[in-house]
Amino acid sequence: MSADTEVTTARRTVAAKHKHPVNQLFHDEATRGERVADQAAAGIGSWWFLIIQSVLIAIWVFINSVEFFTHKWDLYPFILLNLMFTIQAAFTGPVLLLSGNRQAQKDRLRLEHTAEVAEVSERATLEILEEIERNTEATLKVLEHLKKRRDSKSPS
Amino acid sequence: MAQPDASGSHVLVHRLRLKHRDPKADHKHPINRAHYEEASRGARIADQVSAVLGSWTFIIIQSVLLLAWAAVNYWGLFVRHWDPYPFILLNLVLSFQATYAGPIVLLAGNRHAQKDRITLEHMADEADKGEEQINRILVEIKKNTDLTLRILKELEAEFA
Repeated sequence: MSADTEVTTARRTVAAKHKHPVNQLFHDEATRGERVADQAAAGIGSWWFLIIQSVLIAIWVFINSVEFFTHKWDLYPFILLNLMFTIQAAFTGPVLLLSGNRQAQKDRLRLEHTAEVAEVSERATLEILEEIERNTEATLKVLEHLKKRRDSKSPS
Repeated sequence: MAQPDASGSHVLVHRLRLKHRDPKADHKHPINRAHYEEASRGARIADQVSAVLGSWTFIIIQSVLLLAWAAVNYWGLFVRHWDPYPFILLNLVLSFQATYAGPIVLLAGNRHAQKDRITLEHMADEADKGEEQINRILVEIKKNTDLTLRILKELEAEFA
């Protein structure tokens, strides 16, 4: 499997085992409530939801306004439909925040991870620098020895 | 050794796991510290309000109240109807909730956008710092190479 395909698969199947520790903690170890929150946000924020909602509204308005249908439950101006809209909005707000809070949690976790990694890499960089400096000192000594040898040879 | 081996990354994940669900944890990253631990009173209240409004507890309580309201006023259980079908007052109450939920969502979003902005600024600073370190390493390696070349010349002169 090429690297590209692996990344694509990981992106599509959220339940897959992730490689990055932040994804592991955030997705693989999510509690039931967190999983449901993610699914709710994914469900409401999808084209399927928008299309089904539009179809249901159209059916509701159609049945309650065309004379052919005898059983009407919400006549013009559709006060109950208004209530349905309001209920949807009253739940969308909290779900939006739920999802936003979850993203903020991931963001916080990601920065913590960045800080941990940065600390390790900064230490590594300093070690590299120190190692090169030691190498330079050693090389300098080699040069000095060579010079000494040349000086001791040349007069004779 | 600074090399992040398997056990090292395990410790890292453990430390992250402890902080995962606790926004009041001691943060390591300066942006998290600035954003959570040094937040202004208004920002703290915004975080708390969006944490309450965006929680399962809120959603469940709202659902129960909504069903109770509809049941009481539809079947007339226990008390006098105050909002008969089609529940116009309930509509007003929920609209009121939605009217505040919108701005609160934006409040939380703005706070997050602000964090995003200062994160990028911090990353730019860090990138400068990293560049400076790399330049120091490069200068040091060049010095080393110059020395090695001089040694080579010495040796070539000796064996010429």
